[in-house]
Amino acid sequence: MTEFLASIAYDRWILDFLLLFPLIGAGVVAFVPVAKAKQTTLALTTIEFIVSLGLWWAFDSANPGMQFSVTAPWLAEWGIYFRVGLDGISLFMVLLSTGIMPLAVLASYSYITERERLYYALLLVLLTGMLGVFLSLDMFLFYVFWEMMLIPMYFIIGIWGGKNRLYATMKFFVYTMAGSLLMLVAIIVMMFEVWRQTGQPSFAYDAFLNAAPQMGALAPWLFLAFALAFAIKVPMFPFHTWLPDAHVEAPTAGSVILASILLKMGTYGFLRFAVPFFPDVALSPVVTAIVVSCAVIGVIYGALVALVQPDVKKLVAYSSVSHLGFVMLGIWAATLQSVQGALLIMIGHGLSTGALFLLIGMLYERRHTREIADYGGLARVIPMFSLILVVTALASIGLPGLNGFVGEFLVLLGSFGRYPWATGIATTGVIFAAAYLLWALQRILFNRLDKSENERLHDLTPRELIVVLPLVAGMIWLGLYPKPVLDRMDAAAKRYVHLVQPGFERPAATALVPNLEERP
Amino acid sequence: MIPAIDTTTPVGLILTLLPETVLTIATLGVVLLISARHAGPADSRRAGMATLVSLGLAAVALGWLASRSPEDPGLGPMVALDSFRYLGSALILLVSTGAVLSSLGYLERERLVAPEYYVLVLLAVIGMLFMVNAQDLIVLFLGLETMSVAVYVLAGFNRGNAFSAEAALKYFLIGAFASGFLLYGIALTYGAAGSTNLAQIGAQFSQGELSMMAKLGLGFLIIGFGFKVAAVPFHMWAPDVYDGAPTPVTAFMATAVKTAGFIAFTRVLYTGYQAMALDWRPVIFGLAVASMVLGNLVALTQKSVKRMLAYSSVAHAGYLLAALWSATPLGVAALNFYLLGYGVTSIAAFALLGAIGRDGERDTTITDLAGLGEQRPWMALSLTICMLSLLGFPGTIGFMGKWFILSSLVSEHQAMLAVILVVTSVVSAGYYMPVILSMYMRPARAPRVFFDARLPATAGLAVLVAVLLVIVLGVWPVPALHLASDAATSLAQSAGQTVAGN
Repeated sequence: MTEFLASIAYDRWILDFLLLFPLIGAGVVAFVPVAKAKQTTLALTTIEFIVSLGLWWAFDSANPGMQFSVTAPWLAEWGIYFRVGLDGISLFMVLLSTGIMPLAVLASYSYITERERLYYALLLVLLTGMLGVFLSLDMFLFYVFWEMMLIPMYFIIGIWGGKNRLYATMKFFVYTMAGSLLMLVAIIVMMFEVWRQTGQPSFAYDAFLNAAPQMGALAPWLFLAFALAFAIKVPMFPFHTWLPDAHVEAPTAGSVILASILLKMGTYGFLRFAVPFFPDVALSPVVTAIVVSCAVIGVIYGALVALVQPDVKKLVAYSSVSHLGFVMLGIWAATLQSVQGALLIMIGHGLSTGALFLLIGMLYERRHTREIADYGGLARVIPMFSLILVVTALASIGLPGLNGFVGEFLVLLGSFGRYPWATGIATTGVIFAAAYLLWALQRILFNRLDKSENERLHDLTPRELIVVLPLVAGMIWLGLYPKPVLDRMDAAAKRYVHLVQPGFERPAATALVPNLEERP
Repeated sequence: MIPAIDTTTPVGLILTLLPETVLTIATLGVVLLISARHAGPADSRRAGMATLVSLGLAAVALGWLASRSPEDPGLGPMVALDSFRYLGSALILLVSTGAVLSSLGYLERERLVAPEYYVLVLLAVIGMLFMVNAQDLIVLFLGLETMSVAVYVLAGFNRGNAFSAEAALKYFLIGAFASGFLLYGIALTYGAAGSTNLAQIGAQFSQGELSMMAKLGLGFLIIGFGFKVAAVPFHMWAPDVYDGAPTPVTAFMATAVKTAGFIAFTRVLYTGYQAMALDWRPVIFGLAVASMVLGNLVALTQKSVKRMLAYSSVAHAGYLLAALWSATPLGVAALNFYLLGYGVTSIAAFALLGAIGRDGERDTTITDLAGLGEQRPWMALSLTICMLSLLGFPGTIGFMGKWFILSSLVSEHQAMLAVILVVTSVVSAGYYMPVILSMYMRPARAPRVFFDARLPATAGLAVLVAVLLVIVLGVWPVPALHLASDAATSLAQSAGQTVAGN
């Protein structure tokens, strides 16, 4: 495989291709006949996924730096370049994005019946935006992609969403924008610092990383601007209120993408930018206390609120708040295990929560209700659906042998040494997770079959099986044998831990991060 | 290398005013044309075409002059010969052409068939060109009055409409008031500096003590310009006037008048009052903050699209003032670029609004746009792009403009103003996004409600070009950024010269 990839110079064009292909595809889909829109999009996203799979083999696990880098001038005089690259952290985010996309398209087949071309074109633009966020190594470019994916999501929730969609989509837009514009100011301020220190303007990630320790009194403010943008996106307690609204109103595919990929942008931002830029601020006792307590509150609060939700989609939405609290804890503990665990939760949450939303969407298409109280005893009517839902829920709870367990275990293990109390409290979140999910399962699948509408539901169709089975396979694989994944993220996680270590000599970071301009 | 104009000969001196001269002669030609025939729509259309040709000729003359501009204007000329002037003139000609293009079909539809309209537009443009080239406060005042009188009449052009008449009267009264302030400021400045020439004023103020009279003069000038560019707290006329005037006139006021005002304002402050930057910077800071905060907050509460755009233009004046505050070549470059961005975006937005609404568009509310996305997809797409550009979304010229302004502020260590700018921009999402939301996400009131919402061919051309500029310059702004930076450098040079000259 590796030889084949080398023979086609895969590493030279892959990132350009991944970013450009969906964008061109969106233009194509906007003009194909309406009846062909979904098939075309499915084909395009599948091609994108298959091509992106090559990264798995072409990726060099031993290299902690950026790989497959591409640099091309954009507004070169102002230090703005098209700089993209990928390391062990972004690799999985990219694969997750390209992998979830065809499933999201397939799940929309019967759900989306109006203005299909626009819908599928927006999905493709969204894919480019999301991949751009994970691949950008130029802060200006990063900001452009970060904002760019807002618009498709705004339309997807606003046009194809539920009853309260207008409110939800405005809230989503304004929240995200509020955070990100302050980040823009911070990026510009840092750019001028880079300019002052090195004598030339540059928005390059490496340049920012090298210049960041000399920010002096500005550092707390800059960190705050970055952290706010990312905390809203995560969403971290108390900035989470847009999430349940957006999730509940979004169409199934929108919820899936939101949960699986968009939320990871926040934690990715912390891992890639906010913490490595300003480790002294981020890991200072005050900030740590705030972030860790918010993370732990998020874990417990998300779980408790999920427990009382009558709406099953909202339940899953709040469970995301809870899960991402673990990720934040892992990022802040900054030990190798905790960071690896955080990354694993990011991947695992993408699979299991994505699958939960897909399954809820399938249920909704049958019964047009999401109230838990409207169901009961479904296991007897639709056994296959029930089996998959149980497996997915168990994965989400963190049952050993499925993906959720490995990540949460590693985070708790890695964090305990640093924050024993916080970790101890967070551990109870796992119990709550079992409580709300199992209780919901009981009320939906088991109990008595007392609603006549529920008696004649049909089980999963082949198309629906194709949508969920890859995710279930992923959950089992990650749960049983996560080693290949861990191997690939090992070097990048180590680099993160080094970067944020107190007293770490920053100039050495230059050696760890190869200069992009020198690469072909 | 093309030989520069020899300014020592009388012919050479006349040539330095070539665009203005060409446009004046062409305007007289249009006057003759309409005095011969002015009866029906066909004559009006012909006058419109002649106006476009006149603006084109002026643009050619401007290009010629810019390519042969004498390098060293020396001390004391009444008109500036720098690329700051040429860029400003080009911007004005560009947005005026857009406004005329969107007027052509609009006037016929609203039964405002009167070819004088175009003469008034041309007269206003002549005034603006003089405002932009003025290196002397008297020239500046003449240009400003020529422009203002023509625009007063334009605002009330829809004679049958009470709101239009109200707009004209309000604009006239407040405009006259503002001119009074400006003139008073000029008089006080003359008293303090002994000259009306900006270069000499600058040289005078850069040495020695600054008298109270000079500061008073500066204050009055700022108030006068504040009225003209509709900065808070001198903005009270703007919403009513923008609202009542025929929509293409509103577009003209929001873009061309604002551009002329800001270019002249910038030149006065940078050339004449550079030495007093410490005095005027806090004032501009206050005006900028007030305009951004109030403009955006009040726009948030508007239901009518036109009124929302009027308040948003106040907010944009605030962003432009923030660029003016930075008092560096980077800030002036940002100002130039933002004027271009705001100009092309607004021309398209108002032209689209003119095509969608009726009877002056006062009553077209944001929710009235429901269903446009399905019934008129291209118009909805264009309006979406305009709204995103006004919001400052990446991929549009509005974003590049804001980025540039933010850079100019940060380079002067003014993070405070930058933060206020972005926070108020977030507020602006609260009224720009509902326009998009209405167009795409609300069901139409009736199946064929936008049946007669059509862009006439000329306005369609204006919208197409403007939207393409918004996108192309949003992705690849390098040529425009260069022009803006060169213009800023040339202003800094001529201002610096004044100081060094004595």
